[in-house]
Amino acid sequence: MKDRRLSGHLLVFAAMLLIPAVVHDTFLLRVFTEAVMWIGLAVTFDVLAGYTGYLNFGHSAFFGIGAYITAILMVRAGWHFAPAAALGGAAAGLGALIAGFPTLRLRGAYFAIATWALARAIQQGVLMMDITGGPDGMRLPALLSPGFFYYIMLGVVGVTFFAYWFLLERAPFGLKLKAVREDEQGAEALGLNPTKLKIQAFVLSAVPTGIIGGVFAYWVTFIDPASTLGDLVSDQALVMVVFGGMGTLTGPVIGAVLIFTFKTVFWAYLSDYEVLYLIILGGVIAASVVFLPDGVLGVLPQRRKGVEDHA
Amino acid sequence: MPEPILEVENLTKNFGGLTAVNEVSFRVHPREIVGLIGPNGAGKTTLFNVVSGYYAPSRGKVLFHGKDISGKPPYVLAGRGIGRTFQVVKPFPGLSVLENIIIASFLRHPKRVRAEEHAWKVLEFTELADRAHQSAASLTLAGRKRLEIGKALALEPTFLLLDEVVAGLNPTEVDHTIELILKLRDQGITILIVEHIMRVIMRISDRLVVLNFGQKIAEGPPEEVAKDPGVVEAYLGVEKA
Repeated sequence: MKDRRLSGHLLVFAAMLLIPAVVHDTFLLRVFTEAVMWIGLAVTFDVLAGYTGYLNFGHSAFFGIGAYITAILMVRAGWHFAPAAALGGAAAGLGALIAGFPTLRLRGAYFAIATWALARAIQQGVLMMDITGGPDGMRLPALLSPGFFYYIMLGVVGVTFFAYWFLLERAPFGLKLKAVREDEQGAEALGLNPTKLKIQAFVLSAVPTGIIGGVFAYWVTFIDPASTLGDLVSDQALVMVVFGGMGTLTGPVIGAVLIFTFKTVFWAYLSDYEVLYLIILGGVIAASVVFLPDGVLGVLPQRRKGVEDHA
Repeated sequence: MPEPILEVENLTKNFGGLTAVNEVSFRVHPREIVGLIGPNGAGKTTLFNVVSGYYAPSRGKVLFHGKDISGKPPYVLAGRGIGRTFQVVKPFPGLSVLENIIIASFLRHPKRVRAEEHAWKVLEFTELADRAHQSAASLTLAGRKRLEIGKALALEPTFLLLDEVVAGLNPTEVDHTIELILKLRDQGITILIVEHIMRVIMRISDRLVVLNFGQKIAEGPPEEVAKDPGVVEAYLGVEKA
């Protein structure tokens, strides 16, 4: 059954590889690229939210750090894109390591507040610095190749997804994280170090987020503090994860696709009502918490492998 | 007498102005079952939490195999061979019974496949195998207490702290659990057990340590301790003339 799930994932991935061969419309390919990006941001958010129970309201910080490090290295130091984005990911990981030590000892709501505040602090810092261009943002060298960016984004997100799938659904690491999520004291008695596990999950969530931020920066060629470090990145990832089904990896992918499709359609036809979008986003999250506690995935049969609910 | 496996020396634990455990000393020898008893609030669970690493002692120390383990975190002590159960059981409710045991098995069997093999042995031993794929939340109280013991056992401990594993069970289940505990002792595991049900503690303990208001008031074989006037007083109060 597990193997069937893996082959399912591989099949979807293979189909996604073929998209540029079928879709020649540049605008549409951009839409697909952004969809893949949001899948990545939702899945990385889910590692922490779903597997450890910690909601990271500062997820945008990792995305923004990756974007800015990549931009700074490319524009100011003349680096190539790949090493710059890799360093962007490493910087995001380092950020998680440093931020994780004090914050992951906090309980749920306090962690959410602390990470949110930290992300705001970074955004303000970037606004004030010269090297980042402050409020004016940064312009990157333009590479006009929609196909290239689609594949880079899909490559990064795909590798991330399958690495997560292996680590969280196959290797002991995922079960250990779930144990910490379910009962931290109980997990400690079994020889697990909860703080260490949570920090590992935090770094695991941050590194690909940073790389995705780097790809985003090079792809859109212009970044500013609002587009990369704003609340929307974290909020939207949260909605996608909750709506799709937390702690499942597959759920966030489904959630990301559905929410992103809605967003795209909304922008295309109702962009005059911009303010409505956030209201609807808020409504969706409130409704999913009440009506779909296990997300869209929870409505489907066979949701929790191996566990029959007799309760 | 062989070397003691556990030595508690002048252990004191304060919570602000409250002294939950006060200058308590006792030893546990290999293959012994030592019962820790005392009225509610006597400090039994606090003592357990200090010995298993959840609290650092305010004063005094805890030696395990002659080494000072005071203040070491629970996950380190689990690695050293100390397993414990919780009075308020701590299953991982969203996971299956099997997964619960696998997680504990990782300590000695880091590979997933090996851990799962080991988990099945523990499930057989604790008679939970037929419920392996149920969620832990769906177990009855007896089942959850059994799972609690199973998780501690999966750590392959040399020393086991059992906190009220019998309380709340019906008589058949009680006998069942007593059998299980005696089997563990026969396998060479040393046990320190907190229990309120006297019938149980008298039957299985080699020795008793009695706490009252955080202090040790008696220690010795069950029959002697039961006759100790101080113990009788602590449980039943002083007879008024």
